[in-house]
Amino acid sequence: MAEDLVLDTAIRDWVLIPLSVVMVLIGILRYFVSKLMLSSQVPDPKIVKEGQVIVRARNLRAAANFIPPKSFRSRRVYFSNEENGLLFVPKGQAQNAQAQMFSDPNMAMDMMKKNLSMIIPQTLTFAWVNFFFSGFVAAKIPFPLTQRFRSMLQNGIDLSSVDVSYVSSRSWYFLNLFGLRGLFSLILGEENATDDTQRMMQMSGFGFGPSKSLGAEKDGLDIVQHEWALPKFEHRAEAVLKKLIR
Amino acid sequence: MVSKTEETQLNSLENQVDNGGGGAWEYLCLVRKLKVRRSDKVFKYGLSILNDPKKRSALGPEEWTLYEQVAIAALDCQCLDVTKDCIKVLQKKFPESKRVGRLNGMLLEAKGSWAEAEKAYSSLLEDNSLDQVIHKRRVAMAKAQGNISEAIELLNKYLEIFMADHDAWRELADIYVSLQMYKQAAFCYEELILSQPTVPLYHLAYADVLYTLGGLENLQTAKKYYASTIDLTGGKNTRAPFGICLCTSAIAQVSKGRNREDKESPELQSLAATALEKDYKQRAADKLGLLTSALRSMKF
Repeated sequence: MAEDLVLDTAIRDWVLIPLSVVMVLIGILRYFVSKLMLSSQVPDPKIVKEGQVIVRARNLRAAANFIPPKSFRSRRVYFSNEENGLLFVPKGQAQNAQAQMFSDPNMAMDMMKKNLSMIIPQTLTFAWVNFFFSGFVAAKIPFPLTQRFRSMLQNGIDLSSVDVSYVSSRSWYFLNLFGLRGLFSLILGEENATDDTQRMMQMSGFGFGPSKSLGAEKDGLDIVQHEWALPKFEHRAEAVLKKLIR
Repeated sequence: MVSKTEETQLNSLENQVDNGGGGAWEYLCLVRKLKVRRSDKVFKYGLSILNDPKKRSALGPEEWTLYEQVAIAALDCQCLDVTKDCIKVLQKKFPESKRVGRLNGMLLEAKGSWAEAEKAYSSLLEDNSLDQVIHKRRVAMAKAQGNISEAIELLNKYLEIFMADHDAWRELADIYVSLQMYKQAAFCYEELILSQPTVPLYHLAYADVLYTLGGLENLQTAKKYYASTIDLTGGKNTRAPFGICLCTSAIAQVSKGRNREDKESPELQSLAATALEKDYKQRAADKLGLLTSALRSMKF
C-alpha cells in the first residue's frame, strides 16, 4: 500500500521548524544554566593519581618496544607486582569504589545535578510535544521501514494502514535530540552541557571507573611481549645515510 | 613541542608585527596557545594594546587574559612596576581569584623575597593541593635559590602524583644531568621516550647519557639510539652521526681482546663518517680539515 500522502506545507511551517527552534533554544538555555551552576569541585588526589598512573601505564604498553628490555621489565614489575605495585588492586577495594561514589556527598550531589539538568528539560519537552503535536502525520522518512517500527514512530496515529514511513512528531523530536549535537558544538564551542548522548554513555560506565581500568591496564601490561625495536633502527639508519650520501 | 607549521606561522606573524603590520592580537594569542617564551615582544605589543583604551575595549572579556599574559612577560623582562599595575587591575576585577594569587606569588619571587613567596604558595596549595602550576613554581623557586637537592625532592614528590607530565620528567632529567647523576637521568629519558617515542630529541639525549655512562652494553645501546635518531630525523641531525662514530670506536676499544664482530651494522660507521663529511662540505667547508683528521684518529 504505497500511496503517496500529500502533507500540508502548514505542517512544515508550524510543526517541524518550531520544534527544532524550540529545542535549540532550550539547549542554549541549559548551557548557560549549567555554566552558572558550575561548582568548582576540588579534585580528589587519589583519583587524579590513578588517572595519571593509567596514562603512564598506557604509554608504557604503547611504546614498550622503544626502551631496552631491562628497563621495560623493571617498569613492568614496578607497576604490577603484588605487594605495592601501582596497578595492583586487591579484590576488596574494587567493590568499594562504587559504594564510595554514592556515599560521598559531594559527588552524589554533582551527579544529581548533572542528571537533573539533563532529565528535566527532556521530560518537559517530550510532554509538550506529545500534548500539542500528536495525532497527525508530521513527516515522511525517505527510506522504507519494516512494520516493527510502527509502534515506535507512529505513536499518535491510530490508522494501521498508513505506510510506516509516515511518522509522527515524536520521532522528529528524537531525531532532533540526537542530531542537534553537531549544531550545538558549532554555536557553543566544544564543551557544552548539551551533550546528552555522550553523558548517557558515560553514566553507564562510570560506576567502577578507576579500579576497573587499573585492573584492565595491569592485564594489558602483563600480556605485552617486549620486542626491542632498536636493532631494526640501525639498519634503517644505514639505509637513510646511504640515500643521503648518494 | 611546537610543530613545524606552527613554528612557521609564529615566525611569519612575528615578522609581520615587527615590521609595523597589524596582527598583534593574533600573535599574542598564538604565543599563549603554543606556550613559547617571547617575553620582550609580548611585553611590548601587549602593553601597547593595553594602553590604548579603544583597542582594550575591543578585546572584551579577553582583556583580563591579556593582563595576565603581559604581567608574566613583564616579570620576565624585570619591569616589576608594570606587573604591579596589572595585578592591581586584575585584583580589582577578580578579588578572590587563585590565578591572581599565583601572580602575586610570582611577583614576590621576581623581587627575590623567597620566604614570602613560599608562604603565598603554601597558602594557595592549602585550598587546592592539586594545582600543578603552583607545584612547579615551587620547584622553580628552589632551583633559582640554588637549592638543587630540594628542587629534586619537590619534583619527585610532584611526579609521584602527576606521573604523566612529560615536561616535569624533562626538567628532572636536565637537573640530574647537571648533577652528573646519569643513571637517574637515563631513567627520566626512558620515561620521555615512552610517552613520546617519535621525538628524536629524547633519543639523542638518552644516547648521550648512555654513552657517558660507559660500559659495553651501554655503548651498544647508545649506538642503537643514535641510529634511531638518524632514522627519525631523516639524517639531518649532525650530532647523531658523530655519536655513532664515537660509539663504534669506543666499543672497539672496550672489546679489543674479545674479537666480537659487529654483525648488525658493519657499514654504519663508514656511512656516518661519509655523511658527516658531505654535510661539512656543504655547510662549513673551512672546518672540513678538522673533521677529517678527527675521524681518522677515531677509526685507527
